[in-house]
Amino acid sequence: MLKIIVAVLSLLVALPVYALDGDALLKKIDRNLNPESFEMYRKLINVEPDGKKKEYTLFSMKKGTDKIAALFLAPASEKGRSTLRLGENMWLYIPNVGKPIRITSLQSVIGGVFNNSDILQLDYSAEYDVEKVEEKGGEYLLYLKAKTKTVAYDRLKIWADKGKLLPTKIECLTEANMLIKTLYFKDHKDFGEGLVRPAVIETDSPLYKGYKSIMIYAKIKKRTFKDEVFTLTFMPNLESLR
Amino acid sequence: MKKYLGLAVLMFFNLFLPAIGAAESDYTFNLSETEKKPYHFGGYVEFKPVLFGLNRDAAFYKLRYYNDPQGQTLSEVNGRVQLEGSYEKDIYRLYVKTNTDLKYSDPAGSSERSVFYEAYGSLKPSSSLKIDTGKKTLKWGKGYAWSPVAFVDRPKDPDEPELAMEGFIAGTMDYIRSFEGPLKTFSFTPVALPVYDHINDEFGNSNHLNFAGRFYFLLYDTDIDLMFMTGGSRPDRYGIDFSRNITTNFEVHGEYAYIRNARKTVLDTVGNVRQVEADAQSYLVGIRHLTTFDLTTVIEYYHNGAGFSDDERRNFLAFVDRAYNLYQTSGKTTSLNSAKSMADGAYGRAGSGENYLYVRLSQKEPFDLLYFTPSLTWMVNLDDWSYSLTPELLYTGFTNWELRLKTAFLVGGRSTEFGEKQNDYRIEFRVGYYF
Repeated sequence: MLKIIVAVLSLLVALPVYALDGDALLKKIDRNLNPESFEMYRKLINVEPDGKKKEYTLFSMKKGTDKIAALFLAPASEKGRSTLRLGENMWLYIPNVGKPIRITSLQSVIGGVFNNSDILQLDYSAEYDVEKVEEKGGEYLLYLKAKTKTVAYDRLKIWADKGKLLPTKIECLTEANMLIKTLYFKDHKDFGEGLVRPAVIETDSPLYKGYKSIMIYAKIKKRTFKDEVFTLTFMPNLESLR
Repeated sequence: MKKYLGLAVLMFFNLFLPAIGAAESDYTFNLSETEKKPYHFGGYVEFKPVLFGLNRDAAFYKLRYYNDPQGQTLSEVNGRVQLEGSYEKDIYRLYVKTNTDLKYSDPAGSSERSVFYEAYGSLKPSSSLKIDTGKKTLKWGKGYAWSPVAFVDRPKDPDEPELAMEGFIAGTMDYIRSFEGPLKTFSFTPVALPVYDHINDEFGNSNHLNFAGRFYFLLYDTDIDLMFMTGGSRPDRYGIDFSRNITTNFEVHGEYAYIRNARKTVLDTVGNVRQVEADAQSYLVGIRHLTTFDLTTVIEYYHNGAGFSDDERRNFLAFVDRAYNLYQTSGKTTSLNSAKSMADGAYGRAGSGENYLYVRLSQKEPFDLLYFTPSLTWMVNLDDWSYSLTPELLYTGFTNWELRLKTAFLVGGRSTEFGEKQNDYRIEFRVGYYF
């Protein structure tokens, strides 16, 4: 009898507790992608149909569920530009213009397929509710709906590896389920401190036929920041945090 | 059609630059690109030929060329070199930005002007506190084309509102606090601005130490600034501005400035000069909207309470006409020189009237042309309905290069602001390179 009880208990423990809880599953995916507060470097590459490329290097920092900032390090024409997101507020600071201006999530400060919300991505669980989860072979398929109208994409479909609990593909959709873009997560890499995640996100869009954009991640490190870093007044000083 | 238009634009730009396209290769991220050095050096160079179509009946043409008549057009070649450098160690940072403007036109010849746009030292003991001393631009306000609350900045050029500007020598501080709740951010920026011989002497009356300040609040997702300036070099003034997203793609902003005892020099109908002093209120309301197909619209209404009324402008323009006629009949230039000095001081400045409307439409990447942005800007003087219309093509597809083709048409009858400008139209091509 005792053996049976132990066997049943073992089975219960072995089952993922989030199997039926999409929101918990999404939170786990978020944490597997990034620590809650961290710094990182990224390179964004826009590739045109003729193969011509334009590259941008960014230093980014995030704190909690609603604060993220990014500073452009290269090319020289963009150096010193910074973007800040505080919840639903987004600003762009251009050194020549000298003052931050409000921008929107669907705009793109760099052109190409990535827009501002891709560059200033908060946790998915902070912006979306999970409507349902399906199991597709070795993957979960999560259907997400935006919590508010201010989120860039009304709906997301996330394919996540069941074992690693990391996304392999994300489709970004309108309310009417029209595809805006697809993100492909590639090249798993060990970033240290137990963080193993895709180092490359590639995206294409039916709205930009023949174009694609790539985001390469490096040096993702846990780091805590003061709240004052994520303010309009601090935007010209983000370089001092590197 | 789209294909041919795209091809034409690409061919146009390829005339000026060799193809910089590179064969597709593996995507690499060399970590040395992320290493931070204590120093930084960079800059910008620009080449800008300009063709002016002159309006030889206009008052401002007469003022400038009364003794040197020109043909229908005037060409000019401009160059600009901006250098910037910084050095950072621990909590200390030094920053310098220089600007050199070069100009050549026939027959005026060449000219050069070099200044420090900015040169200041910073002390940043924490992320909540920063102290700057030296020459610095502050750029207060939320307006795109105008900023009546930019109390410690030089006047913005509404024709080029995004250009870097020369600062003033000042001591400033930023104190920042963040909170949970409806008030998310508070910051305070006090400014001490001395005006003495050779120190900011173009700011206003000399021998005064002026104080200004800005309080910033992010309250209920709205940016709000309160600002003031006092000290004697310019009349005391107080202001408020705000900016807020009504919806994701729709932003509203506004500014209000109250200026005590604002002074201006005006002329009566017979040309007598007098100083007028009265409290003035200037304000601006504007929107910025982005459509799903990436058309950005900026609309601003600006009331300049310290500006010249339609009658005051007409009196000035009539004075210029009389001065020009006097010069033609007698060779006397006294009145023309006096008019010229008033034009340089105020009447000739962009936005010197009382009521303006500014509309700018820019379409990002039409016809799938990446990095290509055509735009159209319309600026109207609402008192005389004269206006400027500025179509512009911008291409930033080559890394660190910026190519801009811009034309401006100035339209208006006699005795109107834009109708009496020196030019009927202007065509310029700007090639800029960042390094």
